[in-house]
Amino acid sequence: MLEKRLLGVIDATAFHEGLQELTLHRSPAAIPFGGRYRLIDFVLSNMVNSGIQSVAIFPKYQYRSLMDHLGSGRNWDLNRKRDGLFFFPSPRLDHPVTGVGPLDHFAANIDFFKRSEQEYTLITNACTIFNTHFFPVLEWHIASGCDITAIRKGGVSLGMYLLKTSLLRELIETRHETGYLSVRDAATDPNSPLSLCSYPYEGYAAMIDSVDTYFSASMDLFEPEVWNQLFPRERPILTKVKDEPPTRYAREAYVHNTMVANGGLIEGTVENSIIARGVKIGKGAVVRNCIIMQKSKIEENCIVEGAILDKDVKVERGAHIKASGKKPYVVRKGTVQGAWMNS
Amino acid sequence: MLLAGGQGSRLNSLTRDIAKPAVPFGGKYRIIDFPLSNCTNSGINTVGVLTQYQPLVLNSYIGIGSAWDLDRKDGGVTVLPPYTASGEVKWYSGTASAIFQNLNYLKHHQPDYVLILSGDHIYKMDYEKMLEAHIEKGADASISVIEVPWEEACRFGIMDTDEDMRIVEFTEKPAEPKSNLASMGIYIFNYSVLEDCLEKDNIIPQSSHDFGKDIIPRMLEEGKKVFAYPFKGYWKDVGTIRSLWEANMDLLDDMCGLDLFDYTWRIYSVNPNQPPQYIGQHAFVTESLINEGCMVEGKVVRSVVFQGVTVKEGAAVKESVIMPDAVIGKGCHIEKAIVSPGINIPAGTVITPDIQGEIVLVSEDSIKQFLSC
Repeated sequence: MLEKRLLGVIDATAFHEGLQELTLHRSPAAIPFGGRYRLIDFVLSNMVNSGIQSVAIFPKYQYRSLMDHLGSGRNWDLNRKRDGLFFFPSPRLDHPVTGVGPLDHFAANIDFFKRSEQEYTLITNACTIFNTHFFPVLEWHIASGCDITAIRKGGVSLGMYLLKTSLLRELIETRHETGYLSVRDAATDPNSPLSLCSYPYEGYAAMIDSVDTYFSASMDLFEPEVWNQLFPRERPILTKVKDEPPTRYAREAYVHNTMVANGGLIEGTVENSIIARGVKIGKGAVVRNCIIMQKSKIEENCIVEGAILDKDVKVERGAHIKASGKKPYVVRKGTVQGAWMNS
Repeated sequence: MLLAGGQGSRLNSLTRDIAKPAVPFGGKYRIIDFPLSNCTNSGINTVGVLTQYQPLVLNSYIGIGSAWDLDRKDGGVTVLPPYTASGEVKWYSGTASAIFQNLNYLKHHQPDYVLILSGDHIYKMDYEKMLEAHIEKGADASISVIEVPWEEACRFGIMDTDEDMRIVEFTEKPAEPKSNLASMGIYIFNYSVLEDCLEKDNIIPQSSHDFGKDIIPRMLEEGKKVFAYPFKGYWKDVGTIRSLWEANMDLLDDMCGLDLFDYTWRIYSVNPNQPPQYIGQHAFVTESLINEGCMVEGKVVRSVVFQGVTVKEGAAVKESVIMPDAVIGKGCHIEKAIVSPGINIPAGTVITPDIQGEIVLVSEDSIKQFLSC
């Protein structure tokens, strides 16, 4: 099996200023997406569905929720005796390296790269929404004889690189001589002695680096074309199991063009929205063009439009929340919005 | 010890290829999820599941029990099929013979008490409370009972008790019931008493090796202390198409007493890993339970819809149970039906109950009759 020769490395160290409102308590990789997923689920499931059996995750900031989400890797079938899921938090909390694949952070865990038997390594960011099989990329890389293959879509880098594990070790060991801070630096150096290539990716891919890209990628889910590409039966996006019951629609429920995860109780009107697991929407409430995250509660007769409600938000009876202009209004995790706090 | 070998022949084609405990229920569960979740929620983590009839789906569903947190180093879930010994195959001929043939499993775990359950019922129950009552009464055996309407009492095993809930008489399906306390098929035995009773019963040639018909009446004859444990709450035997449909409809009723949303007593099941459900632009969904992976473009009223179901534009589903991965074609009208898993109902099909109002089971075979007319 060719796939078994591939090691997966997910760089979850990225810090995006534009995502700050959603990352107060979590790493960007752990931002909830699509009602029941977190951003990292997409790349991690793609790796697992591609037959990769050893995945290392390198987080830096606020990784409690990320660790809680991934656990032993059981939900991704990565709780293995040989290989499986590895977690390497950064020993230092100084400035993040811009660019995927921080070599200093890798160097601190060089033993892992020395011990791994896989001939090739795939290094990716943690925040791209896509569904693909990496096998063709590996085949292409081997056939082309390139040193580093960058995956690009329409010429734009997706922040994913494939190279020989031995070359990665070399890049880590020689980082002080070369001055490269990340694998991206090595892959984009115009004077590089290495042969650098691009693999043209053609499917749907959305990199999440701001609230705007987050909102628009979420709304992309309503395109059947995007939906079918992201959720094919043969390559499911795996996530943490929550054991929620099916969603219950009450007599007064009025729901259109909406994605709803399990465990919800819907008694109001919902349109063009994404409703996560365990959300309650009370009687007479109206929710339009919103993303409502896990366990949030919208009480009776509220009106919520164009907003992103983070987890555990409570919108009290009769409150109105409306985005001014085109930018989505973000309500932070765990906050209570009273009727007097009209925005 | 969970008895999961039942055929459930009155569920017709639903149990042609799977055992009754594996029948889908409640939008995402199988019947066996209820007793298994009750076990794990009650703190019981050594569970033997006795299978016999069509065990393939059930066995792979149970797996190593991780869905119910029963993948343990010590104990956990063990599937116990019939086996051959000394050159003969010993099928489970009755509920008691099934336990008798697994006495070596029980001996291995050396329990003080044994809880015997059936995999045919929908209910939430704390078995620990029953065990406390069993110990407090100093009983040899306890049987969980529920009050049933007097006019239905003749369909159940009925207990006649004294003021202290000690059972004085047990009659299977009495013509003239003396009480309305029905057996729920849930027993707790002191292990030594159970072992003794089963060994005696095994050598009685005319015995049908059944707890209700043989073991319990003989214990009463011998003057053993058998107590009734009264249970209050939702309990339903889903042995027929109608009762299966009714139990699903009960979930849509706030007052039914079976709360799937109670986080302190979750019902666990194997997760199908599907994306959220999509409710379309022209869809209309009300008074229903809908699971992940569904695509609803039509109308769904008072129904229970399992994972991966598609309801196409202009279709109407009313008071029905749609099992996993079924497809309801454009413009269909489905009313008071149970649609079997994976059935593809062609556009424009009309399925309504007959004049008696009987629930329709739509299966591979029965769908033809709706297409021809």
